[in-house]
Amino acid sequence: MPSTDQSASPPALAMHGLIKDFGGVRALDGAEFEARSGEIHGLVGQNGAGKSTLIKVLAGIYRPDEGRIAIDGQPVSDLTPHKVDRLGIQFIHQDRLLVPSFTVGEAVFLGRERTAAGLLARRRMEREARALIAEQFGVELPKGALISELTTAQQQLVQIVRALAQKPRILVFDEPTAALVKREVDRLFAIIERLRGQGITIVYISHYLQEIERLCDRVTVLRNGRHVGTVSPAATPAREIARMMVARDIGELFPKRQVTPGAPALAVRKLARRPHLQEVSFTLRRGEILGVTGLLGSGVKELVRLLFGLDKPDAGQVEIGGQAATLGSPAAAVARGIALVPEDRRGQGVALDASVRDNTTLASLARFARGGLVRRSEEDGETRRLIEELRIRTPGPDTAVRDLSGGNQQKVVIAKWLARRSEVYLLDEPTVGVDIAAKVEIYRLIGELVEQGAAVLLVSSDLDELAGIADRILVLYRGTVVRELPAKDASSDALLAWSTGAMEAA
Amino acid sequence: MSMVVEQAGGERADLRRLGTLALRAGSLLAFVAVLVFFSATAPFFLSFFNFTNVIAQSAILAILAFGMTVVIIGGGGNVVTGGIDLSVAANLGLCAAVYASLIQAGQGDAVAILATLLTGLTVGATNAFAVVAVGILPLLATLAVMNVAAGLELVLTENTVLSASTPFLMAINNIGPLGVPNLAWILLVVAVALILLVQFTPMGLRLQAVGEHREAARAAGLPVARYVAATYLVSGLFAALGAILSVAYLSGSSTGSAELLLGVVVTALLGVVFSRRLVPTVGGTLLAALFIGFLGNGFQLLNISSYWVSGVQGALILLVVAATSVLRRKES
Repeated sequence: MPSTDQSASPPALAMHGLIKDFGGVRALDGAEFEARSGEIHGLVGQNGAGKSTLIKVLAGIYRPDEGRIAIDGQPVSDLTPHKVDRLGIQFIHQDRLLVPSFTVGEAVFLGRERTAAGLLARRRMEREARALIAEQFGVELPKGALISELTTAQQQLVQIVRALAQKPRILVFDEPTAALVKREVDRLFAIIERLRGQGITIVYISHYLQEIERLCDRVTVLRNGRHVGTVSPAATPAREIARMMVARDIGELFPKRQVTPGAPALAVRKLARRPHLQEVSFTLRRGEILGVTGLLGSGVKELVRLLFGLDKPDAGQVEIGGQAATLGSPAAAVARGIALVPEDRRGQGVALDASVRDNTTLASLARFARGGLVRRSEEDGETRRLIEELRIRTPGPDTAVRDLSGGNQQKVVIAKWLARRSEVYLLDEPTVGVDIAAKVEIYRLIGELVEQGAAVLLVSSDLDELAGIADRILVLYRGTVVRELPAKDASSDALLAWSTGAMEAA
Repeated sequence: MSMVVEQAGGERADLRRLGTLALRAGSLLAFVAVLVFFSATAPFFLSFFNFTNVIAQSAILAILAFGMTVVIIGGGGNVVTGGIDLSVAANLGLCAAVYASLIQAGQGDAVAILATLLTGLTVGATNAFAVVAVGILPLLATLAVMNVAAGLELVLTENTVLSASTPFLMAINNIGPLGVPNLAWILLVVAVALILLVQFTPMGLRLQAVGEHREAARAAGLPVARYVAATYLVSGLFAALGAILSVAYLSGSSTGSAELLLGVVVTALLGVVFSRRLVPTVGGTLLAALFIGFLGNGFQLLNISSYWVSGVQGALILLVVAATSVLRRKES
């Protein structure tokens, strides 16, 4: 536990006035972070708040443009990964950075191997690694196992022991529970608390406010690369912390429209693909925009993949237009009128080097073919019609999609499905990476889709966007729908609270 | 504190383990079966003279394959994006031409050896520069360098055989201690030294980490680029060493060294199935080189056309790559 005279001694880690620009985008804008010696200090913020940039600055991977860093009151500068290692700062990365074919001993001591006469002392490394794991966690790993044969949680133990073998003063955990099940999370927390008992300062980064509340002595909130506040989770409700994370200065972004939802277009009953998607049910009507949100690991991405036939469900039924449908492949999904506007627009949404025309007619070539040959003039006619309807800014149908702006590329993706006369639109983060003007255009377009009777499933982590244009919103948390609410009742901080598990705790 | 023994991985890991075991045992079994078969059917196969001779004849191929193995270990086993050095055979041809033409020009062995090693290292350094500094895929970079080396060899030799014979070269080609050819001894010494270096030193362990999981190696603070670059230098050095043995064995430089390449690739890939963890190892490569050597020798003794050897080599590549990629897929 932190002792009482903490305030007198310098902080174990202090980062002040950090600024870091990436080609015009300011990732850190005077960020501050201070952790006292021997505490568990949480670090939270929305995607893009600057958490990972801050940690990479601390790890010596990024060099800050401005700012000061001090360890135990001693200023440090020009950090490199090697120097950070010698300063006693260790990182438990989100993805387990271990060599799959190594033994536990080799993995723990890689880079600081035990040797005898210049040769590897494999037995000794194995013995010491096992002793450390047994001593720290009371766990014995299977004898002679390779890293690739261990479970995710066991690999994480190996990584923690790797860090502990360096006798660190500061230990940084980056989203450590993302791939763990509940029982493993409990054990990890017990371990982290014991490490605090050994006097190690812990920095704990997580999306899950529930975890922050349970584990952390204090928590620092970042937003837009700035320090919003440092509070004690014990004294501050998770709802309040969520509110600190969300920006509130949103103008009139969202065009209003009036559509009365019609017949069910897509009905999902107890759809599951374990472990990521436990059981999800909902109905999406024609003329309706159903928002879906959830953090990484909530099952949102898996849901989209199931609905487009990219994965097969373990259980559950899907009905399209009132009829049972098996979505065994993307081809089957497209044939049933489902359209996907993928998050990775440049990789999966469009063929970058092909023309606007070729992209627009790609999913509906049969319509334009006579006797096995595609009729260019008919393709051109349809493409020109859609260019006009969607207000795609392009010199003409022959222009390569690569030369269009992000927002206009996104419109080409939608045009492709309009040409296919699709009726159910799965939009996966449709406004990622486009500027604010293009966003408004895309919102308008989504509005027109539903006005024409299409059904839209809008997956987004932009909570203001969801609250702004969806009719209803589903919040997924660890594979289940934890909350369904009308958009008019949804505020972005409430959505965030639900998706981080803060409400479940309350 | 109570001690919990944790179960690893589950069924899939067990399956994979079983598959790896079967593949490894099967390969060793195939090796033994081939030896037994030829011993029973081919005259003189089982003689001491024939055995040591096959080992000696395998030396050049094995040494080139060692260089290739080091490159694959450090660059990763992905056949397309991983480490590979297609220039080893052409490098050997160029180095042999350098050695032979220097001898023909009246230089001594010492000068020729030095120039040959320098040539090999220069080709290796060119590969390292193209792969590490410029960032070209090894497959393409070394293919280009292969052509450059082959071209330079032609410039030197005008596509003729340059004969070279010195006491030093003859000594290499002689029978050595215990009635075993010196070439076999050289292979043995080089193999043991390289196995020690790659499999039993911290440097070797780090090299394996660099090749298998570059991010993990970087996170462990290893100078990844330097390790990868070094593998191409090692490969160049081994090509030069192989060239000296080749000049001794053939009493001069020869044309058509490029044909060695397929055998080198087969050997390095085949070596994977002889390792416990299904990764490239120097020991595995040595076994693979001997396996291929005995196969060719047996065919010869049975008067089967040597063209079949190429066919068998090709089939082996397909088999090994298929088996390992199936097992790797289970892993992910």
